[in-house]
Amino acid sequence: MTVKWLMHFQPNQGTTLTSQVMAEACAVAESFPGVSRDGRWRSSMTFYRAVPRDQSLPAPSDLPRDLIGISLHDLPNEYLFVMRSQRLILRAHSSVQTVMDKLQSYKGRFFINFEGLQYKWGDFKLRIGKCLYNPNEALRGIVMEVEYLPLSSIDKSQRVMEEFYEIWREAVASKLLAGQFINTEVNFVEYGLGDSYTPQHTAVLYGMCVVQVIASSNKNQ
Amino acid sequence: MECVVQGIIETLHVEALEILLVGLCGAPKQRVRVHELCLKSGPNLVSSEVRLLCDLAKTTPSWTIRHVGGAMRGAGADQLSVLVRPIAESKASSTALRFFYGIGYKLDHEVLKTGFAFQFQNRGANLTVSVTSTNRMPRLHATDDAVPITPGIHLVEITAPAAPENYTEVASAIASFCEYLSPLLHLSKPGISTGIVPTAAAAAASLMSSGGGIKIL
Repeated sequence: MTVKWLMHFQPNQGTTLTSQVMAEACAVAESFPGVSRDGRWRSSMTFYRAVPRDQSLPAPSDLPRDLIGISLHDLPNEYLFVMRSQRLILRAHSSVQTVMDKLQSYKGRFFINFEGLQYKWGDFKLRIGKCLYNPNEALRGIVMEVEYLPLSSIDKSQRVMEEFYEIWREAVASKLLAGQFINTEVNFVEYGLGDSYTPQHTAVLYGMCVVQVIASSNKNQ
Repeated sequence: MECVVQGIIETLHVEALEILLVGLCGAPKQRVRVHELCLKSGPNLVSSEVRLLCDLAKTTPSWTIRHVGGAMRGAGADQLSVLVRPIAESKASSTALRFFYGIGYKLDHEVLKTGFAFQFQNRGANLTVSVTSTNRMPRLHATDDAVPITPGIHLVEITAPAAPENYTEVASAIASFCEYLSPLLHLSKPGISTGIVPTAAAAAASLMSSGGGIKIL
């Protein structure tokens, strides 16, 4: 699997995030020479909560409160779980959701979809998307996934990804968007992940990014 | 959903059973070495049970998460000679055990199943016949030091995936295959013990002397 970076849009202090930002970010991408639109993309995330044996009581504190499940757009037959507090990832076939339903010990409490437009630009694939609460589709954030197709090594791709990031930041600034894109920084080693990029790396990126997106959204409301 | 029957056979007759199965199935024998961990939810969580299966027969161990539901009940189910039950399974990464510990499950017991299996089709159903010894481990996860729980006895199990619209046909396919094994062992719903078959010794001797060469299916 080739290396990805994941960024989220941080609105300027005092401004509110609107769908217009999504249109403006896509316009930035479409202004790159040689870029071509490459369809749509959609990933989804479920936030799970433990179901206590005695449901008249709150969930015990020794059970994780940060269990999330992720279905990635490019792996429709797989499902990943991330527990940030324990630096733990489980990668499984998508049927694991049926197993969790049967166990009934954890239930999905709220859901987020990431969906938008995909672009091809030379050796890069760019996916710009809205981060929407499900089912009311309230906009919570804008994310951009950048994939560098030639490389699977995180170390080897670092420089080219940084160069892209600078190009993107300058382009966004020049179009006067009311904010900037912030890259999601993760210490993959803490999760037991190596230099060779995998879906587990993507799951961790989304797990970290969504925390920042929600925090930013709550701050600006 | 799956259909399942089980039976037992004395270990000294396993070789004869293997000869019979080679002839009946026409499929290659597969080695079985599965570390099965049964986990139960902790006291704070809604009560549930899950099994993790680690296949140690391959070069790289692979993990499966498995939930076994309650047996189908009712007049229709009672009339079947096989047990029908819902099954949910998922292949998973090697972090499966840590994951379930992390979400509040505890190890209830673990066993190592060793033996062999055949996978083949009978009457359109995909059958798996496994012949295994169930072993316990003297220390946590010590699969290399496992010893049989019932020395001298092997478990024979026939399973087949099924769907609500075809489980009666699948059950029939299993039942018909069981007839071929009846000289050596009787298979029935799990939990209903039929013991050792009195003709097993004679049937085994006959198989060993003939050396196989039987192809019925």
